[in-house]
Amino acid sequence: MMRSWQRIYGLIGLVISVVKWLVLPIALLLLAQWPLREVIQGFSREANDLGQLLFALYVAVALTCASRKDAHLATDVLAHRYSSRVRDALVRGGLVLTLVPWTLYVLLTSAPIVWRSIIAHEAFPETYNPGYFVVKFAVWILAGLLLLQALVRIFDSAPLDRGK
Amino acid sequence: MTALGLGLLLAVAILIPATGLPAFLVLLFAATVGAAAGVASGTIPGNLLAALPSRLTNLLENDLLQALPLYVLVGALMNRLQVADSVFQTTVRALRGGREAPAVAGLALGALLGPMNGSVGASVVALSRTVAPRLASSGMPTPARHALIAVASTLGVVVPPSLVLILLGDGMMAAHTIASHATHGAERIINTQDVFRGALVPAGMFLLLCLAVAVWESRGASRIAAAPAARGISRDVIVAIAAVAFVVGLLAGVATGRFYAVEGAAAGAFTLFVAAAASGRLRGGELGSLLLDVMTTTGVLFALLVAATTFTLVFRALGTDKLLEAWITAAPLSPLLLTIIVLAAIGASAIALDAFEIIFVLVPVLMPPLLMRVPDASWVAVLVLLALQGSFLLPPVGYALLLTRGVLRERVSARATARHVAPYLIAQLIVLVSVLMFPALVHLGQPMEAGGGAAPAPVMTDEELARRMEEMLRQPPEPNDEGAGVPATK
Repeated sequence: MMRSWQRIYGLIGLVISVVKWLVLPIALLLLAQWPLREVIQGFSREANDLGQLLFALYVAVALTCASRKDAHLATDVLAHRYSSRVRDALVRGGLVLTLVPWTLYVLLTSAPIVWRSIIAHEAFPETYNPGYFVVKFAVWILAGLLLLQALVRIFDSAPLDRGK
Repeated sequence: MTALGLGLLLAVAILIPATGLPAFLVLLFAATVGAAAGVASGTIPGNLLAALPSRLTNLLENDLLQALPLYVLVGALMNRLQVADSVFQTTVRALRGGREAPAVAGLALGALLGPMNGSVGASVVALSRTVAPRLASSGMPTPARHALIAVASTLGVVVPPSLVLILLGDGMMAAHTIASHATHGAERIINTQDVFRGALVPAGMFLLLCLAVAVWESRGASRIAAAPAARGISRDVIVAIAAVAFVVGLLAGVATGRFYAVEGAAAGAFTLFVAAAASGRLRGGELGSLLLDVMTTTGVLFALLVAATTFTLVFRALGTDKLLEAWITAAPLSPLLLTIIVLAAIGASAIALDAFEIIFVLVPVLMPPLLMRVPDASWVAVLVLLALQGSFLLPPVGYALLLTRGVLRERVSARATARHVAPYLIAQLIVLVSVLMFPALVHLGQPMEAGGGAAPAPVMTDEELARRMEEMLRQPPEPNDEGAGVPATK
């Protein structure tokens, strides 16, 4: 069982290592909007839509990246006095009581919307450019990856990338 | 049950420091408890919460939020290019190594890098690394050093075009839309550029006052040792001039509407990336590690956004927003006093919450009802920025002061630090009171057609408010129309 969690952990790491590069094409596409709109007077909406699509995928994975690095904003004004065992129990309890039900709720309630969007190959509503279904699918990726990372953290004892 | 939302808000403020858990997790916990209680008691219809996925989709397709990872990338690249070192050295040289040179250079660095670094925490780390050792070598006492680093780190809160300003602009736009919708107001809804322009004059005033304080505080310091006249001098000067020109150009372009904030951020990120690659600073695994850092910071900010979106959905579903709205709109207080009370509440919460947490959680809750009484949204937005900045510096538990002490790891008396922070706080108070008393200060940078002009927007009279409240009671808005904490801009 532990090995399965390690595999999932490795898989999430692989996804992050690929998706982290997307910020560069996002910057390029959003920069290109300006000359495309002002100079060429065409294709700026296409650049915007493609940038938006990549942005949705990037953000969907970024949350899990922050969790994996244990980088989320927290204030341990009082908690630094707790033992590491208590703090670990608090984290696992928080994940079990909060993140697991929240991600499951998002996955379940969004399923029909996401599925319909994928089947219909939903286009961007204003420009009719293809690919809008990826933005909706990104909600699933966001919740799914967060759920997997939370489960790894709950069941595995050494799941953090801290300091790497 | 409508008051439960306030209990949840209080629970968030207590649980974040008490548990040490990530703020986004605590917010989601509070939202989950509120949703469960609301559904169990029949206050919240189950289908109302099903709106959550579409609100998350709104976040993922928000045009303005696309600027967020790009500004984070800009900040990371500036750190890699060691822009901070170059600017500091050049400023000290320009001031001929005078007593005041390190303090002035430290503040200049805070003003330059703060807007790009993304958060007070990131600025504290950058300035502690770059400026603190040089301030120490100039003989500045430890408490004065701590005070200066903390003050310089908060400059990014008020100097545009910072991440805090972008996100507050977005939050204020949503709040102003809700307020205008509820009161059937005809005023133009503010946008991020309005907040940028509005913050320009107060930020300039504060910076000038801080420079005056820094010069006055440096009386006892020794002259800084002249930096070696090595080959690096010309490189430092070039990098410093390029960095200043770059930030000023970015600010001017966004403030004048030449391009959108997201395009400015993209241009900045791309230019710095090319510069970093050309200078060989992204060789080997450097680029991969930089991109991982950027993604991590982006994830931190969006986790808060996602949690705040969930929390505000539950908050509104419980009807607590209406309760607050009723209290604020019916309060027998002048709009000015009401504004001061709301600002005090935001300032007090800054003891426990970061700027981002306040913008994502408190602004969507407190601002709509306040803007129903005080329609000058640019003015309110700038006051919120100043209140936030002031509270980060408030001894003994001001966020920036605590962070500086944590990063520098030096033994220093809190009372002594407070003594050195006091002149800066007085400067901050002068600016805050000036903006409170003279709202036109916020509109000096606004073009006439932006709805601000040189004169502030009118404050609603009690008769006008009563008339609009009656209209609202006749035609209550649908809960679903209230919008999420951060609506899509498309």
